[in-house]
Amino acid sequence: MIGSSYALLAIGFTLIFGVMRRLNLSYGPSIMLGAFCGTFVYLEFQAGHLLVAVATVVGAVVAGIYIERLCFWAIRQGAALASMVSSFAIWMQLEELITLLFPERTYRFPPLAESVSIDLGPFFFRAENLIMFACAAVLMVLLHVLLYRTRFGLALRALSENPLAARFMGINVQWIIFLAFALASALGGVAAYLIVGTDGQITPMFGLWATFKGLIAMMLGGMGSVPGAILGGLLLGVIETQSVWYLGTEFRDLTAYMVLFVFLVLRPGGLMGQHTVRREQAAYRRV
Amino acid sequence: MDTYLISVLSNIGMLAFIALSAYLLLLVGEISFGQQAFFAISAYASGIATAMWGWPFWLGLVWGSLFGGVAAVLVAVPTLRLRGLYFSIATLAFAEMVRLLFEIFTYQVEIDGELVGPDGSEGFRDIRLIYEQDISAFEYMCIIYAVLALVLAGFILLERSRLGAIFRMIGEDPMLTEMQGLNTIAYKLLAAAMAGVIAGAGGALYAHLATYVEPKIFNVMLGVHSLAYGLIGGLGTAFGPLIGVAIDIGFLESVRAISGYRMIVFGGLVAVLLIVRPRGILDEAAVHWIRRRWRQVRHAPD
Repeated sequence: MIGSSYALLAIGFTLIFGVMRRLNLSYGPSIMLGAFCGTFVYLEFQAGHLLVAVATVVGAVVAGIYIERLCFWAIRQGAALASMVSSFAIWMQLEELITLLFPERTYRFPPLAESVSIDLGPFFFRAENLIMFACAAVLMVLLHVLLYRTRFGLALRALSENPLAARFMGINVQWIIFLAFALASALGGVAAYLIVGTDGQITPMFGLWATFKGLIAMMLGGMGSVPGAILGGLLLGVIETQSVWYLGTEFRDLTAYMVLFVFLVLRPGGLMGQHTVRREQAAYRRV
Repeated sequence: MDTYLISVLSNIGMLAFIALSAYLLLLVGEISFGQQAFFAISAYASGIATAMWGWPFWLGLVWGSLFGGVAAVLVAVPTLRLRGLYFSIATLAFAEMVRLLFEIFTYQVEIDGELVGPDGSEGFRDIRLIYEQDISAFEYMCIIYAVLALVLAGFILLERSRLGAIFRMIGEDPMLTEMQGLNTIAYKLLAAAMAGVIAGAGGALYAHLATYVEPKIFNVMLGVHSLAYGLIGGLGTAFGPLIGVAIDIGFLESVRAISGYRMIVFGGLVAVLLIVRPRGILDEAAVHWIRRRWRQVRHAPD
């Protein structure tokens, strides 16, 4: 169940990475900013669920656009390392901003639903987990439609396949990247709303957490692949809950990182991205 | 010198090690998020050696550095086959694994009726060697800078040697290097081992300065910071990372007045700097320019 939220985070990551081949470390902090916007609206105006969700998404998108302009658009192509480090610098900036604006350690966030548990045979679920799962599923279907049934989706896929060829086909690369960033941030905003809503509280540590969970899930699934990100997220969720169950809480992150490491060494392309790695290796050998 | 300045300078020296270690891997074109792991391993190894086994300080330092180097090779063998970002994430995963393992690593012995040794997330207390041997903070700072000078001298020799040229060549274009009949993987392994030793030396020095090591310090932030130092300072020379560290720590310390906003200002500054100079202040072109000017000045007819 927690896996579906990881999957959403991983999709956001993978969208940005697939289009730009650069890593946005600031992804987590930007959606955290969104979540704090939601909290602010909730605490100040006693807003309802919908308004909080909208505020969260808008905040995340604004932060995402800020990062895109400063770290990716302004730094020319080819300097992938520079944009990564600069996105890290912006991470620090956003985190500091939030700790300044929200000096307390934790803040209340409107819970998604009353805590009711629902029994289904041998399993039992909490209501908010079910909501999260349903929302994630709907979003993934919408995303699929967007990617495979619209011109924007076509352009996006063309761009991640081969940026130069996409440019020759008359695709406005910068604009598509910009839109992809906004889309990824919006998805992240929804993910943040769902996750934070399930917890009922938010801390400034959320950014770090979101970046790393998203990153691990993306790597497990395969970089740049949307179905891979979904699978990776679900897999990560299963791994974490199983290791807590069998080994104890202190082993949760350890197992996740261990699995990631083994995966990277044995199957660097992840679950769904192996063919791109193979293609690269084959090209390398040919030369 | 007053104690405050000494502690700031010692910190700069210490961070320089890990920054240089990340820089060395950047030279061969690999981005490592995981140098803090070797820093941590060595901090523990050397702490155990001096505090629990009663080894002398220099032996602990060498032991810790070696440990860092060996660990680096062990990690590099499976991961260096990966390219680009895959390698970075693998090092990140490894470093986090190391940190989380230290969170549950307990190994204590009783010395003088007191339990000494690492105790899981409580950390490793009482690495008291520099107090027992009565080394003052100033002397210890000199030790740090002496070791750092040694490492820097090594770097300067490296830059002038064939090995340095090969490293830079691999960073520039691994395929072309391979075509010259050079075994890129072997050279990268060598670079990783050297980087591990350098990070290890820093870790051993850190453990004895802080006298207290806890796993929390060695988180990803340290690793990403060490990468950023090289990139801010410049990838053209080994002094680049030093400049990066000095800018970061110096800036943080000098603007205590606006302390609340310092990361906001600093983060923005770094972002803008990287737009203007994507390979840092002292990038290859700048270093080349400085060398040429220097030669002109030296050979100018007087």
